[in-house]
Amino acid sequence: MQFFGGSAAAEASPAPAAPPGTATGLAGNNANVLYVFNRNGVCLLYREWHRPLRTLDAAQDHKLMFGLLFSLRSFTAKMDPTSVEKGNLGVPLLPGQGCSFHSFRTNTYKLSFMESPSGIKLILVTHPKTSDLREALRYIYNLYVEYVVKNPLYVPGTPIKSELFNTNLDQYVKTLI
Amino acid sequence: MGREVAESCLDGVMIEMVSAYCTRFYATKPELAARRIEAIGYQVGHQLSERYTMERPRFTDHLEAIKFICKDFWSELFKKQIDNLKTNHRGTFVLQDNHFRWLTRISIDPTPESTEASSNDPSVTAENKASQTTNMHLCFPCGIIRGALSNLGIPCAVTADISNLPACSFVVRIKA
Repeated sequence: MQFFGGSAAAEASPAPAAPPGTATGLAGNNANVLYVFNRNGVCLLYREWHRPLRTLDAAQDHKLMFGLLFSLRSFTAKMDPTSVEKGNLGVPLLPGQGCSFHSFRTNTYKLSFMESPSGIKLILVTHPKTSDLREALRYIYNLYVEYVVKNPLYVPGTPIKSELFNTNLDQYVKTLI
Repeated sequence: MGREVAESCLDGVMIEMVSAYCTRFYATKPELAARRIEAIGYQVGHQLSERYTMERPRFTDHLEAIKFICKDFWSELFKKQIDNLKTNHRGTFVLQDNHFRWLTRISIDPTPESTEASSNDPSVTAENKASQTTNMHLCFPCGIIRGALSNLGIPCAVTADISNLPACSFVVRIKA
């Protein structure tokens, strides 16, 4: 069955293999944490596969993550040396406006980010040697469209509770490098 | 010759039809909503069977007509045939599709973790609502089968059974 039309080519080619020794400690799944937010800041999905340290309770953690990305997007758009018009720093940005920020990397993790035109934000935290995950995030967004948006039992704006989506997501994340 | 439409559009229309009839038009009478959706399916099945039997000779008996539904009709609609056909040779047929195209995305919530001991009720009612909505979605294909068969001269009653998604069985009872 042909689910993924336009970006079917994207799904077939995983990123090149990581050098040996980088995936140790993440046996099984290759990602740490996944967040999905909608445009109002509601956390639709929080999946963790490997998170040894938890400092905040869940609601504060989600708010912190959403606020971080909101500010980072605004900040990167304002600092863009190639764009002509610069609004005020506090003005909220629409999903397509400004340059898009993809990822940041620290010495212990890499956080990749993707925002769809409808305001759905995907955040994936992986080990630091991961290569560019934009295709992976697009695939996960495709999974969201197929199994969540098209699920007749799903009410838009509520947290995602779909077995099919979770299973497919886990399967896909296992194949990430 | 045929015109095409995106499958996402069809999925969207189906979801909205079921939700409109169940929550807005006949919110307090689910049986009426089910019958209305099935009547829509009946019309559609009627017209589709006209198109797909254009060049064929008349069917010799009931079994031939049911086999037509299982093979040609189903592959025109869903690009696959019915996987299993059972009959009791006394007017009842069971058509089983192991991967019904319109049910592939329905997924019931996994049971929520509840902190109180006496909260069996919320998860039970959530599951009931989910299976109720899924049954509503099946009224339309039941109507299609009933419409197609009545256009071929076989009055019948069709019900659906979902014991394990995404497989689904349609039970056709021919009125003697």
